[in-house]
Amino acid sequence: MTFFTIVVRGLIRRPVRTALTLVGISIGIAAVVALVGIASGYEKSIDKQLDVIGVDIVVSNMSGGFLPKVFDESLQARIAKLPGVAETTSVLMEMESIEDAPMMMVSGREWGGFTWGKLNLMTGRMPRDGAEHAVILGRMAAEVLNKKVGDTVQIEAEELPVVGIVDGRSVVENGAIMLSLKVLQDVTGNEGKANFVDVRVTPNSTREDVRRLCERIKGIFPEGRALVAGEVVSNSQGFRIARAMSWSTSLLAIIVGVLGVMNTMLMTVFERTHEIGILLAVGWTRRRIVYMVLCESALLGLLGGLVGVALGALGVQILEHTTGIRGLLEPNLSPKLLLTSVTIAVVVGVISGMYPAWRGSRLTPSFALNG
Amino acid sequence: MNTMANLVFEGVGLKKEFDDGQVHALRGVDFRIAKGEFVAVIGPSGCGKSTLLQMLGALDRPSGGTLYYCGNSIPDLPNPSAYRAREIGFIFQAFHLLPTFTAVENVQIPMFETDLPASKRRDRAISLLKSVGMDHRLDHFPAKLSGGERQRVAIARSLANGPSVLLADEPTGNLDSENARLILELVVRLHREQNMTLVLVTHDMAIARLASRTITMKDGRVVSDNASAPDAHREKEQAIK
Repeated sequence: MTFFTIVVRGLIRRPVRTALTLVGISIGIAAVVALVGIASGYEKSIDKQLDVIGVDIVVSNMSGGFLPKVFDESLQARIAKLPGVAETTSVLMEMESIEDAPMMMVSGREWGGFTWGKLNLMTGRMPRDGAEHAVILGRMAAEVLNKKVGDTVQIEAEELPVVGIVDGRSVVENGAIMLSLKVLQDVTGNEGKANFVDVRVTPNSTREDVRRLCERIKGIFPEGRALVAGEVVSNSQGFRIARAMSWSTSLLAIIVGVLGVMNTMLMTVFERTHEIGILLAVGWTRRRIVYMVLCESALLGLLGGLVGVALGALGVQILEHTTGIRGLLEPNLSPKLLLTSVTIAVVVGVISGMYPAWRGSRLTPSFALNG
Repeated sequence: MNTMANLVFEGVGLKKEFDDGQVHALRGVDFRIAKGEFVAVIGPSGCGKSTLLQMLGALDRPSGGTLYYCGNSIPDLPNPSAYRAREIGFIFQAFHLLPTFTAVENVQIPMFETDLPASKRRDRAISLLKSVGMDHRLDHFPAKLSGGERQRVAIARSLANGPSVLLADEPTGNLDSENARLILELVVRLHREQNMTLVLVTHDMAIARLASRTITMKDGRVVSDNASAPDAHREKEQAIK
């Protein structure tokens, strides 16, 4: 018999209660895995999208909500003149409720800009020119909206025909409605406005060259910012809020888990006062009692963490295949996230066990034996 | 007879109060116990004999007076756990076995405070259970054992780390007469064979007669302290009445 045997016996003596506590912790951890995994997956998708399109610098306004505020599209011409800039294109991005889909990305792209180039047409055709009031749909957007070429999509007050369906090679593009910048400006009443300028730098530019170019762009657009593509997500206020929300929601679930484990361990210590008395009477040190209770709660946390990770991953899988969401999620259940989640669960277990362990260790052997 | 050299326990003016001084369990108890002695502590319920045993085993602290083990103050021991683990073997009336562990596992529990590896712990536990006639019940949980068998396991556990003192608190109190006789024989045999100091608390005069010395207590005080002899036993019985 090892010390681990003693720890395990402590947990299985009340299997139903242990199982219920495990469920409590695992829900918290499942929330972490699912929410953070989805948020992080979306961030990764944005990075991937920028990478696929070949954007080096993204220029946008500093203020705004999930998406930055619009600015005058003449900014693009001023940026294009800067040394080191190879190509620029303006984009007007909107998050719109489209028919039955609550939130969908609508991307108005400057006609002829490089952002059109990487789209792989699956069916139909591309818009004839920048003036044609028509949209193309990412393949997932088409599935979610249940649209095919020839159908129409209502944006704001206008019905726009779907002329093509494309594979954009990233979840963001596949889940978006794309149309000419000019048309989206007309439809949304944002004439002459954009909220992004995507920049490609000249070939062979160094990281330092790109940084210097960002500084120059900020010089001509002080109220805005110019971010290297890889830093867009980490600097986005919208994503920061999404990240904070997913963590804070998870935190609430974790706190519930902490209270659950603490309650269980306290009950365990109270119930086992007599047993702790026996252990003290036969010579166990108070430190060993503390260690035993902490190991039990840590093991409870570890098991809860493993179950939670499995539940979270399963939940995300189910969400990914749910009608209406299918194709819009690209969760990032990285080993780091899974390991972090299990670590959180173990730490939760240890923290929850501290007070009960301390209580158990403070018992007087004679009192505990008689109790 | 109780020279300082072979003195195991010495209590002077030992007091124990409970409930903020409302209850006086011990009211100034003086005694000396020598190495290898078999001392029976007798007296009616509530006279303080179990409290005294708990003080000897460092399970509780006295409220006043001094209490020494081999010249060291028990309340001031730097590591009372080590004292309980290595010097003392406790046998309780209610056995106090851990219900979720088998007989052989219960005996191993005190050994966690030693450096014995897991395999050696099990071997030693089996050997101890064999010595108390329980080697046929190694993997039985306490709930599946009779009262006598449980007490045998508890005795084996008390011997786990080779203590020099056995403290037995009414070890036959929960047993039928046949099992009580067997357990007493076992305890006395262990005392003799291993030259262990044995302090046994009982309210049964017949059991006390087996001891080489009897300390009689009443109302938290020692009322007599005699070597066993037929006349002395009659005096003790009178005192208890």
